[in-house]
Amino acid sequence: MVIGSALMHFVSPILESIAPFVPGEVFPYYFSGLFQNSLVAAVMVTAVAGFLGSFLLVRNLSLIGDGLAHVSFGGICVGIVMGSSSPLWFALVFSTVAAILIFEMQRTEILTGDASIAIFLTGFLAFGLLVLRLYGGGITIDVEGFLFGSVNLIDEQDLDLIVFISLYSIISLSLMQNALLATTIDPLAAQVQGLPARGLGIFFSVTTAAVVVSMVQVVGTLLVTALLVTPAATAQLVGRSFRSCLIWTQVFGLTSVILGIYLSAEMVAPTGAMIAVVAASIFAAVGVYRSIVIPLLRPGMNS
Amino acid sequence: MSEEFSEEPILSIRNLSVSRSGEEVLESISIDVRRGEFVGLVGPNGSGKTTLLLAMLGVLKPLKGDVLVFGHVPACKHNLGMLGWVPQAATQLPSNIHITVRELIRLGTLNRDNFLWRRMTTEIRERIDRSLEMVGLREMADVDVSRLSGGQLQRAVIGRALASETEFILLDEPLVGVDRASRNSLLRLLDDLCHNHGKTILMVSHDLAAVTQATHRIVYLDGGIQYDGPTEELPDLSELANLRGIEHVHSVSVPSWDEIITEVE
Repeated sequence: MVIGSALMHFVSPILESIAPFVPGEVFPYYFSGLFQNSLVAAVMVTAVAGFLGSFLLVRNLSLIGDGLAHVSFGGICVGIVMGSSSPLWFALVFSTVAAILIFEMQRTEILTGDASIAIFLTGFLAFGLLVLRLYGGGITIDVEGFLFGSVNLIDEQDLDLIVFISLYSIISLSLMQNALLATTIDPLAAQVQGLPARGLGIFFSVTTAAVVVSMVQVVGTLLVTALLVTPAATAQLVGRSFRSCLIWTQVFGLTSVILGIYLSAEMVAPTGAMIAVVAASIFAAVGVYRSIVIPLLRPGMNS
Repeated sequence: MSEEFSEEPILSIRNLSVSRSGEEVLESISIDVRRGEFVGLVGPNGSGKTTLLLAMLGVLKPLKGDVLVFGHVPACKHNLGMLGWVPQAATQLPSNIHITVRELIRLGTLNRDNFLWRRMTTEIRERIDRSLEMVGLREMADVDVSRLSGGQLQRAVIGRALASETEFILLDEPLVGVDRASRNSLLRLLDDLCHNHGKTILMVSHDLAAVTQATHRIVYLDGGIQYDGPTEELPDLSELANLRGIEHVHSVSVPSWDEIITEVE
């Protein structure tokens, strides 16, 4: 696949031209030079995660991202032990299979609610850890990179996978957003209208699995939810329609990721954690503004 | 009225038996609904009203007998999208979503042919406006659904079914969580849809007073069909009052539309 380098061919000159105006000592390297791949990957992943997250939030599936991320980590462990140069492919297989099984278990009501997510999360995570301990070298630096994110180490091959997943997800989610909204709001009504509810559900599960895998290197397995749910949840505090929530999600998500990378670069701090902290801080700030500042300014209003 | 109904039934249920979790809930039920009818399906809790609805929607498969919607098995490609489904709005919409009335109604225009790639044609836009107009929510089109009252929310959900331009509308307990004034205006809306817009309506409710007030025909379900006929000829209400789960039976009086209109205004 050369889709990553093809994209960089177009994006790179644009970033170079912005670089002189970028503040900081390390941060400009994300625009010209070493870390261009990292910035592009982070921004793409954030945009997709926010879009997907808006639907997850409405479906009350906020924690499925977390669950699938842990399943992915199990896959990564297996990939590392088998000496794969790109263990993310293993993660993709594990996560997709788990997502479909979770969806089917919930649909057929074998297990309701979050229980199936919990079982897959712990089962695959434990399996990965066992394999790693028994046949591999345990928790090495490589493994830690997948746990906590290693955005600066994203190479061409990783970028290919991330760009491929992001483009696939953005295009397919845009096409299906109305149908997804309809099945989310009222699955039975959507089915009666003629929408293929089961097919849409499986599509959505597979897409979620893929997006989670694409995020693992940017924020790390443990912090996937920070970009998947937090910006969308913040948008719910300000948006008035579904469409405006989608736009606000992008505003909050992209602010979190760019500010997070900037701060981590200048303070030499872990990027994934910084992005997650920034995202949570934005949520807190907006929440305080909505629930304390606005009522104080307009004492007469009820809402 | 009844002589105006066309002969071909749009819903035909023949000797239907349905079981849920191993237990036979419905046994040998037969109902026909013809074009232009406004039918009330009433019965106590646990009498199988919901089961019957789910069988009509094709969610539950018959154990014995047939359900035919527009002459075909429910939810097959010949009648997919020809039925409008109006769930009990108050309990069906997720609370954690911001969506405007217009956005909700627009979802009704989706079907199996256009859900992937749908251009917002003027035809679709007009259809959405028409639905908003019919349910009386034109002024509130851009209001967040979570700010609506119970009655307005139910209207919005009816609007979604109207946007799919189906002629047969199924409603499940549309009056639950709706205050008295809105209840009457909702019934007036349904009456208007039936008489002036040619919709066929089947309404499930345990509110016998409301059903008596609005429908042409009542199907009373309890174990089997206890009564199926014109609303005016429904036998002895006090007898039905002894049955569990029916509300307001003692206070049943059938007000005229004029009375209802003055009450609403």
